[in-house]
Amino acid sequence: MAKTALVVDDSTTMRQMVSFTLTNAGFTVIEAEHGKDAVAKVSGESKVDLVVTDLNMPEMDGIALIRELRRMAAFKFTPILMLTTESAEEKKRAGKDAGATGWIVKPFNPELMLKVIAKVLPA
Amino acid sequence: MDSTGETGGKATSAVDFSALCEHQQAWETFASCAVRLIPVLKAQMASVTDETERSALELLVHLRILASAQAAVSEAERAASLSKVVMAIQFQDATRQKLEHVGQALDQWSMHLQALLRGPLDNDAKRHIAELERIEQTYTMEEERRLHTAALSPDYQEPVPVEAEPARPDTDSVTLF
Repeated sequence: MAKTALVVDDSTTMRQMVSFTLTNAGFTVIEAEHGKDAVAKVSGESKVDLVVTDLNMPEMDGIALIRELRRMAAFKFTPILMLTTESAEEKKRAGKDAGATGWIVKPFNPELMLKVIAKVLPA
Repeated sequence: MDSTGETGGKATSAVDFSALCEHQQAWETFASCAVRLIPVLKAQMASVTDETERSALELLVHLRILASAQAAVSEAERAASLSKVVMAIQFQDATRQKLEHVGQALDQWSMHLQALLRGPLDNDAKRHIAELERIEQTYTMEEERRLHTAALSPDYQEPVPVEAEPARPDTDSVTLF
């Protein structure tokens, strides 16, 4: 059964690039424009296997989204990757504290992203 | 006019004069801040042009490989080129953010100018100039911070010395917690 990934980014181009990469790797993708949109879209979902989210977004940013998801029982152990242009250490620390599994700095290399996903996704 | 009225009038003039001086100072602070920041904004915009150019060239190189009908191009080479295309197309996200940050700085200038135009003793002016001096807080990329610092350095000279992002191994872009 195909795994489901939630892709959150306010840039349509980025969302489509990540979705393209994940769909080619066999994922079913749910796309959201920002944190609030993401929470609304996954509230009724029984299972999301992976979350890839941007950091800086309107309405609800990536850190707030991770905190929100980690409060939901279904997302307690879901791998969450932050995908952002931001590489400052203090931001990474904030991401880690919120519950992110990993941090990827844009521009992302699709092959490397899939390797990282294979590493963090339970078999 | 009696002596009390005269004293009151002088006191009012002194307050007006002090307010005008303060307002004049606010204009001067704004002007010097704007003069300092214009090269920064130009540097950020020049980096957008540069990045667009680099990415377009990169895209062309890899699109040629992908479009090539030659048998000499292996599947692995095609896959690598496809990855490079995906990476190069992401210039749009970086350039969009850089231009948004330039736009935010211009919005702050506009708010500050409006506050100054409202006249003396407007506390908004002080708040807006403080925000103007902190535009680097809006940055999200190391390249933006580097350009900001470079453009503010005393030996800074135009044309803008836009450097390409230093080459880094792909794996450096990943941190697992």
